[in-house]
Amino acid sequence: METQSYTPVPPGVGMEENFLSLDDILLSHERLPCRTESAFPRLGFLEKSADTRDIPEGTKMEMPLWLAKGLYERKRRTLSVDPPKTYRQGWRTVLGADPNVVDLHKMGPYFYGMGSQLLHFDSPENAEIAQTVLQTFIGRFRRTMDASQNALDADTSALVAPLDALERALFRAGQAGLAAYQRWEGGASGRIEASGLVVNYRKRKLGELQA
Amino acid sequence: MDPSEVEFLAEKEMVTIIPNFSLDKIYLIGGDLGPFNPGLPVDVPVWLALNLKQRQKCRIVPPDWMDVGKLEEIKELESKEETFAPIPSPYYMELTKMLLNHASDNIPKADEIRTLVKDIWDTRVAKLRLSADSFISQLEAHAKLDNLTLMEINTTRTFLLDSLNCMYKLRTNLQPGSDKSNDY
Repeated sequence: METQSYTPVPPGVGMEENFLSLDDILLSHERLPCRTESAFPRLGFLEKSADTRDIPEGTKMEMPLWLAKGLYERKRRTLSVDPPKTYRQGWRTVLGADPNVVDLHKMGPYFYGMGSQLLHFDSPENAEIAQTVLQTFIGRFRRTMDASQNALDADTSALVAPLDALERALFRAGQAGLAAYQRWEGGASGRIEASGLVVNYRKRKLGELQA
Repeated sequence: MDPSEVEFLAEKEMVTIIPNFSLDKIYLIGGDLGPFNPGLPVDVPVWLALNLKQRQKCRIVPPDWMDVGKLEEIKELESKEETFAPIPSPYYMELTKMLLNHASDNIPKADEIRTLVKDIWDTRVAKLRLSADSFISQLEAHAKLDNLTLMEINTTRTFLLDSLNCMYKLRTNLQPGSDKSNDY
C-alpha cells in the first residue's frame, strides 16, 4: 500500500485508551451529562449559563469525557455521570431490534469507543450497555463487510455514511485488501509507480507556488 | 502482505518445462536444477520457467489439474460442499494467472480455464464471507480453515483480524476483571 510507512497509533477500542492515539483523544472530547456532588470553587467559568464564581453542588452540566473521567471517583464525592441518551434503555431497545437501521455516525461518531469508556463510571446499567455495544457490532458486521468487499468503482459514500468511526476504519481495511487483489489481478502490481506521498507532496508544492 | 508477495511465494512452485537448449546441471541455493536437454521434460520453479519462456528457450507443460474436465469437477464439488473443498494446488490462482499471462500458447483451452478458475475463486470467496459472518455472529473464538489458500486468506486478512480484535475488546469489556480504572 502506498501509506505503508505511515503507521499512526490505532485507537484502543476497549476500556483502556491509547495515550497517543489521535482518535482516542478526539473521542475523549465528547461531552457527557454530569451532576456535581460537591462545590467546585472558582470554576464558575466552566458553566456558561450561570455567572457565579463557583460551581455549586448539584449543578447539572456537560463535561468532556476526559475531565469527567479524571474527576470521577467511585465514592461519588465529586461527580456523578449519566450515560448519554443513546446508551439508555430506549435506544438500547432500538439497537436490539435492528442495529442496521441506526445511523451510528450521527449518534457517535465514536459509538463503540464511547460505549466502552462509559463503563468507567460504574453505572448500574453497565452490563446492559456493554452487551448492547457488542451486539450492535456483531449485528452490523455483515453490512460493513459486504459494503467493503463490493465492487470498487461503485459510489460507496451512501454505504459509509451511517458507519461509526471504528467501522469506517474496518471498511477501509476491507477495501484496501480488495483493491490490492484487483490491482494484482489486473497486472498493475508489476508496474512501478511513484508513492502516493511523493505525488501529493509535489501537488502541494505547486499549489503553494500559485497561491 | 501484498498480493504480489503471495505471487512471489507461488513462483517457488515447480512446473515441468521442455527446453530447447542444453545446459549442465546448475547448483542453486534452493536446490539443483537440470541437466537441461532439448526436448526432454525437466522440473524447474515457476520463476525460471517464465523467464526461459520469455526468452523463447522452452515450452511449459501445464500442471495436471489445469485441465477443463478436472476444473469442472472441482467447481462442482466446491458448490456442493459446505466447507472449503480440497484444491489441487495451494497457489491455483497465482499459477493460473502467471501461466496464462505468459504462456497461454502452451495451454490448451486457456480461456475456458481462466473462466473456470475465476468461478472457483468466486465461489470460495463468497463462502469465506458467509462463514466469516456466521463466525462473528456466533461469537466464536477460533476456526479451522483447512483448504483455504494463501491468496484467499490474504484478501480478507486485515479486515477480518481487525474486526475480531475489536470484537474481542468489546467482549472483554463485560468481564469485571478488566476493570482497572479509578486508580489515579
